[in-house]
Amino acid sequence: MYPSPFHLVRYGVLNAVADFKATYTWRSWSFGWLGRMLAQVLFFTGLGGMLDHPGAVRYLALGNALMTCVVDTMAVVATTSGERRAGTLSLLVASPADPMWVFAGRSLHWPVSGFATASVALFGLGPFFGVTWAAAQVPLVLLLIALTALGTYCVGLFLAVLVINVPRLRNVVSNCAYLAMMGFCGVQVPVDFWPRAVGAVVQAVPLTHTLRALRAVSDNRPAAEVFGPVVPAVLTAGCWLLAAVVIFRWLVAVPARGAGTLDLSY
Amino acid sequence: MEKYGPTRRGATKRPADGGARADAIVVEDLGRTFVDRRGRGAGEVTALSGISLRVAPGEVHGLLGPNGAGKTTLCKILTTTLEPTTGSARVLGLDVTRQSRAVRRSIGLVFGGDRGLYGRLSARENLWFWGAMYGLRRSELRARAELLLERVGLADRADARVDTFSRGMKQRLHLARGLVGDPRVVILDEPTMGMDPVAALDFRALVAELREEGRTVLLTTHDMAEAAAVCDRVSLIDRGRLLMTEDTDAVGRLLSRYERVVAHGVSAGLADRVGALAGVVAVRHEADRLEAETELPSATASVLAVLAGEGVHRVSTARPDLAEVYLHLVGRRGMAVT
Amino acid sequence: MSLFMAALRFQLRLAAHSPGTLQVWATAPLFTAVFLSIAEHADRTDLTSFAVVAPTLMGQWALALGIAGELIAEERSQGTLEAVIATPGRLSVIVVGRILAVSLLGVTTMAEAWLVAGVGFGRWIAVPHPVVLAAALLANAAAMAGTASIMASLFVLMPSARIVQNTLTYPLYLLCGVLVPLSQLPAWVRPLGRVVFLSWSADLFRAALDEAAVSRPAGRIAVVALLGLSGYLIGALLLARVLRRVRRLGTLTHT
Repeated sequence: MYPSPFHLVRYGVLNAVADFKATYTWRSWSFGWLGRMLAQVLFFTGLGGMLDHPGAVRYLALGNALMTCVVDTMAVVATTSGERRAGTLSLLVASPADPMWVFAGRSLHWPVSGFATASVALFGLGPFFGVTWAAAQVPLVLLLIALTALGTYCVGLFLAVLVINVPRLRNVVSNCAYLAMMGFCGVQVPVDFWPRAVGAVVQAVPLTHTLRALRAVSDNRPAAEVFGPVVPAVLTAGCWLLAAVVIFRWLVAVPARGAGTLDLSY
Repeated sequence: MEKYGPTRRGATKRPADGGARADAIVVEDLGRTFVDRRGRGAGEVTALSGISLRVAPGEVHGLLGPNGAGKTTLCKILTTTLEPTTGSARVLGLDVTRQSRAVRRSIGLVFGGDRGLYGRLSARENLWFWGAMYGLRRSELRARAELLLERVGLADRADARVDTFSRGMKQRLHLARGLVGDPRVVILDEPTMGMDPVAALDFRALVAELREEGRTVLLTTHDMAEAAAVCDRVSLIDRGRLLMTEDTDAVGRLLSRYERVVAHGVSAGLADRVGALAGVVAVRHEADRLEAETELPSATASVLAVLAGEGVHRVSTARPDLAEVYLHLVGRRGMAVT
Repeated sequence: MSLFMAALRFQLRLAAHSPGTLQVWATAPLFTAVFLSIAEHADRTDLTSFAVVAPTLMGQWALALGIAGELIAEERSQGTLEAVIATPGRLSVIVVGRILAVSLLGVTTMAEAWLVAGVGFGRWIAVPHPVVLAAALLANAAAMAGTASIMASLFVLMPSARIVQNTLTYPLYLLCGVLVPLSQLPAWVRPLGRVVFLSWSADLFRAALDEAAVSRPAGRIAVVALLGLSGYLIGALLLARVLRRVRRLGTLTHT
């Protein structure tokens, strides 16, 4: 019997926990990382303060607060390429397991960290800029943050396998992806500000949909407007994950075996 | 919990091809070329060419050759991480190209050096992780990890981060990692690279245990002594070609066919006479020192007789060791061997 | 001076192919687009220059900080640290030379941002005060090298300082008015920002791109240069401590 994806993800989490502990202490996460992320929210929201445009500050605060979790989830690109550096990639390929699920598990600390960051930003910082929540809305907001974190994590996994053979591009790709999402998915300005083609492309990004849902919650709009975008968010996330699996299996592992780019020892 | 030991081996099925070939590893006319990206133009580099090799179940087989001989390329092909360009390879009757997933279930791979472990995980967690990759379930996994930690002598450091391990400890963990899937075929690619001598001795004992358990072991090394100590048979490989495959003992016998006579105070004329004797393969003469290689024991005797007859008394004989045969066979490429 | 130029040239050659430089070149246009979209959506075309200045400073600083973080360990691993200690050359000159190279290289992001504003948004920004801009860019690059040299030594002396490395990006940008001018921030924040050269550079850049006459340009450029010089002096002082440790312990690390 081959190991099931769930089994592999679970044991991949061993690495996620160890990585997180090695990267952060409780204090360095709170004051180093969280502080930096909240500053980022203030940085962009601050521009809204200069605009004299009704609603701009609130719009920017909400968008950038949710956006913080994407910075975290894009780190999956770097941790996955670490498998190559550690020499474990070829061992994973030589095992009966599908490495894709190991990748999915081993970076799960990033969406968790992202969930925490975005929660603090939305509930802690948001109210200063008019982003307030009723108690009843809290579970829904948390759900949407989780969905954003996991959805963009799937996008990150896709990018991770895409650059697994070109590790030097890992940071360029993850940063560009994250900035592109920040620019075009409705974080700073509505999606329809951009040319129609851009608007069409960003429909493939889970963040576009979860952000629309979160703004609907914030504006107390009808349930249909809140839950409507959840379906495409889940669907697009699934598509990215599937694409990652396919890409890894057929466009990375198989050609690498042919070309001999998987190194055992050196 | 699964048992370790030969009893389980006895119950294993015959290979899928009906048992006509019971060999654990069958390599037939295997070749592998790489496109040379460094050169301008599309040059091809041949890493392996026309390799044929059979390893019996339970055999410890040494793959011996200098760096760059193609040993690692062969290991990569057998562990399914690289596809051959020509020929075929089967592990336990399963084709490494077409049945790669099934092959992966029955092999364990260990390579030397520091890489291939998760430094931030403990030794135990590493084994849990890799066990899970082989589909082991919780209780089985934990028990197997404990057993292996005990076996490689890391039980007391099981919870320490691998980052803090010495090279020898990492190497032992590597071996445990390679065994966690209870593989019937274990492939060890330069496993003692960078190991200290004591650890290397421990390692030999471990390979002996693997043999007792009936596992098939393919061990690549450029260390003659190591190959001689642990292998049933050795294959010499150089520049992608298989030079020979012999029992380690037979190689020893082959070696004993050769003898060398070294004498001092020998004139050029005498050296020429020695060189003319039957069974003398080669003669080197420098200053007054003579080195004569003989092929037959009788030839050694006649060389000694001629030398004694001329009053040469500073004479010694020696048998070349495996290393020298190795040098004979791969050519005197000196530094490349060490 | 030749040592300085050699270090500068060496780093320029390295940086042109480094992933860090590639990242800054790739992200600067995106940052510009993000800032411009916010301004354009609110019909605030007067803020276009903000969207060009911020990506420039952010790109330069990211490059300078990136190189500062790895510079000394790298000099050591390639054996040049010891080599320089054994010569009369000053290591601080090499450090500053190398950081200056990347911060000069970072100036190119301003051209990128300018092009994005023009091509992408049809806002071709005029440069009414080219001399002030050029002088400010030079002074800023020098100040960046001087200031980042503090980090180069600090990360070696106090490995725990890396924890705050994160806070040297957005919190610093925010505090120094890199995007939103210091004058728009609460009064209590302003003195903090004024201590760092970035706030003076950001104001100068924006002023140089504005039609109105730049007030006291020479004085403000001098402040940037002075802050940079003090950074260099602190950096050199810390570097001397690093070298003392290397000589005494034969190692860079505490343990």
